[in-house]
Amino acid sequence: MRTIDDFTRPLEYLSPLDDPLGKIVREWAEEHVIPYRRSFDEDWKDHELIEPAFKVLMGELGLQRVLFPEDLGGWGLGHSNYAGTASYRLMEEVARADSGMAVAFGVVFWPLVMICMEPHVNRTLCEEFAPIFCNTTEPRFAANAMTEPQGGADIENFEIVKGSTIRTTAVLDGDEWVINGHKLWPTNSGGVCNLFGVVCTTNPGSEDPNDFAFIFVPADTPGVTQGPPYEKAGMAADKNGDIWFENVRVPAHYRAHGPGLDLLYFKEVITFGNMGSIAFVGGAMMNVYERLYQFVSEETYRGRPLKEHDAVAGVLADIARDIDIIRIVGYQYARMIDRPDLYGPRWDDEMVAKGRAYKYWACDRAIEDLGKAMNLMSTYGADRDWDVEKHWRDLKIVQLWMGGKQLCQAEVARWFFECETL
Amino acid sequence: MGDSKLFPHPREWAGELESSLAETLERWAESELMAKRLELKESYADLLEPAMRKLFLEIGLQRLLWPEEHGGDGHNRPSAALTAASALEQVARGDVGIAFALACLFALQQSVAMEGSVKSEACEELSPLIGSNDKLALVAPVLPLFRERPQATAKAVRGGWSVEAVGARPAAFGGNASLFAVLCSLEGSDHEMGILAVPAEAKGVEKGDPLKRTGLAADVHCPVSFSRVRVPEALAVALGPEECRAFAAWLFLGISACCVGAMFSAFEILREWGDNRVIKGRDNVFKENPLTASVMAEVAKEVSLSRILTWNLARMISLPEVYGPAGSEDNLVTALMIAHQVAQSAERATHQAMEMMASAGYAKEWNLERYWRDVKTLQLALGPYELAKMDVSRRFYRAVTL
Ligand SMILES: Cc1cc2nc3c(=O)[nH]c(=O)nc-3n(C[C@H](O)[C@H](O)[C@H](O)COP(=O)(O)OP(=O)(O)OC[C@H]3O[C@@H](n4cnc5c(N)ncnc54)[C@H](O)[C@@H]3O)c2cc1C
Repeated sequence: MRTIDDFTRPLEYLSPLDDPLGKIVREWAEEHVIPYRRSFDEDWKDHELIEPAFKVLMGELGLQRVLFPEDLGGWGLGHSNYAGTASYRLMEEVARADSGMAVAFGVVFWPLVMICMEPHVNRTLCEEFAPIFCNTTEPRFAANAMTEPQGGADIENFEIVKGSTIRTTAVLDGDEWVINGHKLWPTNSGGVCNLFGVVCTTNPGSEDPNDFAFIFVPADTPGVTQGPPYEKAGMAADKNGDIWFENVRVPAHYRAHGPGLDLLYFKEVITFGNMGSIAFVGGAMMNVYERLYQFVSEETYRGRPLKEHDAVAGVLADIARDIDIIRIVGYQYARMIDRPDLYGPRWDDEMVAKGRAYKYWACDRAIEDLGKAMNLMSTYGADRDWDVEKHWRDLKIVQLWMGGKQLCQAEVARWFFECETL
Repeated sequence: MGDSKLFPHPREWAGELESSLAETLERWAESELMAKRLELKESYADLLEPAMRKLFLEIGLQRLLWPEEHGGDGHNRPSAALTAASALEQVARGDVGIAFALACLFALQQSVAMEGSVKSEACEELSPLIGSNDKLALVAPVLPLFRERPQATAKAVRGGWSVEAVGARPAAFGGNASLFAVLCSLEGSDHEMGILAVPAEAKGVEKGDPLKRTGLAADVHCPVSFSRVRVPEALAVALGPEECRAFAAWLFLGISACCVGAMFSAFEILREWGDNRVIKGRDNVFKENPLTASVMAEVAKEVSLSRILTWNLARMISLPEVYGPAGSEDNLVTALMIAHQVAQSAERATHQAMEMMASAGYAKEWNLERYWRDVKTLQLALGPYELAKMDVSRRFYRAVTL
């Protein structure tokens, strides 16, 4: 029988961690997530079922440590030349079980990309923050706080808006930053966050890249308030809420790199966000394949399995084709991340634009295919018991976040066609 | 008030009744549902059931298509297809699941109550429920899931039928149904198939556990088994393929109209967003951006064309003297095509509206995502599109083995 492992990926450049990590995560998913995930939607607020699974994955198996240097208790992925391909596999495997968990888990590393990745490791901050994640078997969450009430897309739309709409301010007062502002929606907010990476401006309204600041804020710093989680269409395992920063004071060296460099390396954060998004989509779609395979083999039409009906098989083929290509494209992009010597720095506009292209393509394919898969299943397509509808609800947000599809389109057109005013 | 007047429909087909009913229902949707849903979310007990009771019993839509001589309002002519479509649009604007409940009831009522072919005994049997001031007439259609065999069989027994089915899946409303409309293959009858109205409290009806589903919170969905359920002869509400097809054609019309109503709401939520959101950081009102305006235009197009199609389907069903009986093969295929087309439009439109609203579209607070889930769930009641296409090809290309 065919399995998800028959979907293609470029075997010649998988990370050395691929096999062991893939196996560990798959076992974890089978034991701690898949048997319970049909009740996750009702657990969106309390995470009574979800939290124990996070504890095993992140705290006990220790996967929340992977990005930090080995001597600080991490696994050294930030120093390796396979951070892209290794983390792609991790995200894909977790998302096969639950893409909301994959997002929450993946976003732990998202702000840490700023300080843990070569060639721009900030050793001081690594030393400062590693204990939060490495000296515990409890799950610890980080969040990347970009989006603000007036709009998320604008904040990511650096080329045109140039950070001028950021309203969260950072003012240097002696050797401390004083932060004020209101963020919303970051993954791992809603009360669970331990460490925020906060997108701020040092000069509101400015279009100068030097005024873009990325500053770390431990969640227990006085003046930080996290609101309760929002109720959403899906992705119950990811908590999102409001965060208010009121005269929050952190040491001056909590700014990731300083003027100019914060924005430069923040674009690498966007690159990783796009790669992660493709992995979430690819992993969840592999599970859709598994569930659909079972359904169309068991359900009959005119005395034969549904999959033996030519017209149905045509749709099944389209779905399998897309999953295979999403996987190939996802690993290809991860490989581009791993080989800046060949593909250029991860923060280059070219890398960002191509990541956006692959991300919105993968999302569009997945959403359309999920709709068709549900359709083939007739009324069962809407049953939680068949899991496909869960993935349909969950993956919709992957298409909408990080500035939405139109920002992706604008950036892709901008890079390939050298548009100047978009 | 809503924006539905923006969307074209052939006005000459809408009479006084359609217009005044639409206005009443627009108000009902706003006061009974929209004003309360931020607080009550999708609660069946606190929001949906009370709204349904008001609609079905107090406003009396449960009796709209019922013959006067059986205690109804007497709108039981084929032209009621237009009344039904116009009502369902407005009800679905408030809640798609409630509108679907009404569509299922209309499909059953037209089977027995159409002027000129009123099945008086069936009406008498059903009148205590449909004419009730207290009991909701929620009809759960049990139709073939993959357009193949009926899910149930009925054997002719003395004075009636004995219905059998194991773990059948209604199109909707298994758990809260008061009546099942079960398409059965018939044994011991001249007809190969028929639709039997099975009261939910009949002996031998066993409802399974409610299922968690994507949307349509008004539909308490569950599998249902029928074990030697005795049904009086009069409750064979449709006999033979043509009458069964008429039931399906009305149901497809209902699904179409529900989708249009859902799109009205999605449009209104999006319009408000477009008027008030600013992007690109330069006082650039959302709707004035060419890239987003082009997607918003697609949404408006889907709503407009879907409404025109739905009204045309209603018109065809309302004029059997021109288009033939509702249950003709041609009309069923037309209904099937239109329902799939409109459901796909609704799926696209709600997807696109969500794209425009990003995280707000995904948050329950903005209410858009519920229409997106509802529309998708409703679409699945039509069965797989790939198999429906076989019916279309059979008709247009005279394919015989599909
Ligand atoms: C589950 C979930 C997880 C999230 N995780 C995070 C996170 O970890 N960190 C974080 O900071 N945020 C996060 N977000 C927020 C998310 O990234 C934003 O919602 C997204 O960036 C869009 O911003 P917005 O919702 O404010 O919509 P807007 O910025 O108002 O954009 C709405 C829509 O407008 C269109 N648009 C915007 N700008 C343009 C333009 N210039 N040209 C053309 N069209 C345009 C797009 O279609 C876009 O989808 C998350 C949201 C969810 C639901």
